[in-house]
Amino acid sequence: MDGEKPIVELKNVKKSFFLPHEKHDTFIEYLSHPSRIFKRAGEQYEVLKDIDMKIYPGEFVGIMGRNGSGKSTLLKIMAGIYEPSGGKVIVRGKMVPFLELGVGFNPELSGRENVYLNGIILGMKKRDLEAKYKEIVDFAELEKFMDAPLKNYSSGMQVRLAFSIAIMADADIYILDEVLAVGDVAFQEKCFDVFRQYKKDGKTVVLVTHSPASVKDFCDRALFLKDGVLHDLGSVDNVIEAYVNG
Amino acid sequence: MFNYTELLWQFITTDFKLRYKNSYLGIVWIVLKPLAMFGVIYLIWSNIFKMDADYKMGLLLGIIIMNMFNEAIMMGLTSLMSKAGIILKIKFPREVVVYSSVTISLIDLFFNMIVFVIFSIFTPVSTTFVGFLLFLFCIFTLFVLITGISLFTSVMYIKLRDIHNLTMVLLQLVFWMTPIYYKLAMLPENLQNIVKLNPLTTIVVYARKGLINGPDVRLEDFAQTGIIFCVSLLVFVLGFMFFRKRVSKLAEFF
Repeated sequence: MDGEKPIVELKNVKKSFFLPHEKHDTFIEYLSHPSRIFKRAGEQYEVLKDIDMKIYPGEFVGIMGRNGSGKSTLLKIMAGIYEPSGGKVIVRGKMVPFLELGVGFNPELSGRENVYLNGIILGMKKRDLEAKYKEIVDFAELEKFMDAPLKNYSSGMQVRLAFSIAIMADADIYILDEVLAVGDVAFQEKCFDVFRQYKKDGKTVVLVTHSPASVKDFCDRALFLKDGVLHDLGSVDNVIEAYVNG
Repeated sequence: MFNYTELLWQFITTDFKLRYKNSYLGIVWIVLKPLAMFGVIYLIWSNIFKMDADYKMGLLLGIIIMNMFNEAIMMGLTSLMSKAGIILKIKFPREVVVYSSVTISLIDLFFNMIVFVIFSIFTPVSTTFVGFLLFLFCIFTLFVLITGISLFTSVMYIKLRDIHNLTMVLLQLVFWMTPIYYKLAMLPENLQNIVKLNPLTTIVVYARKGLINGPDVRLEDFAQTGIIFCVSLLVFVLGFMFFRKRVSKLAEFF
């Protein structure tokens, strides 16, 4: 990988959120402290502190960390949804973030309509979706249900449909947030096959998960996020150990 | 790079489909709402005053345009908020959401104009090709104005929910400040001058002239509408700049 440009690069990325200290929302409370209308009491809470990260093409990077350590915020910054409070994010390639499966899914629409809605939101072309429609339905194993409204699907069926659309999205970089554990064991196995295929095709994947097994199976490299600081502990095993020990 | 137009079209068709899902009358409501309002105002007003023959069609067209303005402003206002679930998960040009919301009002207008055409069979109007062009120009001006306003309000609404109530009050004011059920000439001169400041007055007056009194349309009518068009375009450009500047910093406030 020497000399190759990183496909995702984070330089000194910081993110802080406003954390209010007192809640004064009623009119009378505002009147007693007029200055609060413009400046509320609170502090800037730093969720991410100086994150430096380089991900190279073809890498499968796992990020582990406890709840509230800033994993989702980090992914949202990579995906361009949050703007960092400081620092720079450089992405060289087409990125599809799966921060949630089935983005835009509407319970009132049919399965078929939701395939197009979700697919186009994920950046796919309508023509490609039409071509891949059968493949999506077959993968989800939902042939019979495509004209039923999504609200009548079981949650497992919804997730299967969402996942089947998601894997059709063609990108250089995939960002996955906790979406590995979908459906029953048989379907999960199919999903893992897809990840292996990504790996074979030289796609870049950033994966956030709580499952040490997934990290061990797929990731070339793992990073450990604790209290907004990213630790590079060298090997995948070290990260898993740090995660398990908190 | 992004499939901009496909996304726009997808949002438009989805929102349009969803709006009257699970309702018996479905899209009939699009024409029923302005028609009911027309019925009420016409019944009351034509009994109080003696109105000329053009009044009925003028009133109908005025209500249709006003209805488009009201619905589009309210949809534009909540457009970003109602797509929060998508905005927080995927990066795409955010303004698509605003454009799709306001474009739905154009589809509504189309359905309402069918009703207008049906009415005109019983109460004939005289339009010309040039008059029709003036009408289209007025509608386009209105559309640009609505989009411009929505680019401001949709962003402000995320942090300031008061905008919703404030807008409803302002829409009432705009309705009364536009010669919909009254004629401009009925007002005293000082009041006329105030009402003329309202851009919707120009839009409604010339849209009516184009579609109902077509043969009277002069070049200066286009010029008058053109002034309002320039104002609307300015609102749009400023709105676009405001939107682009603010919207990326807003994700965490949804």
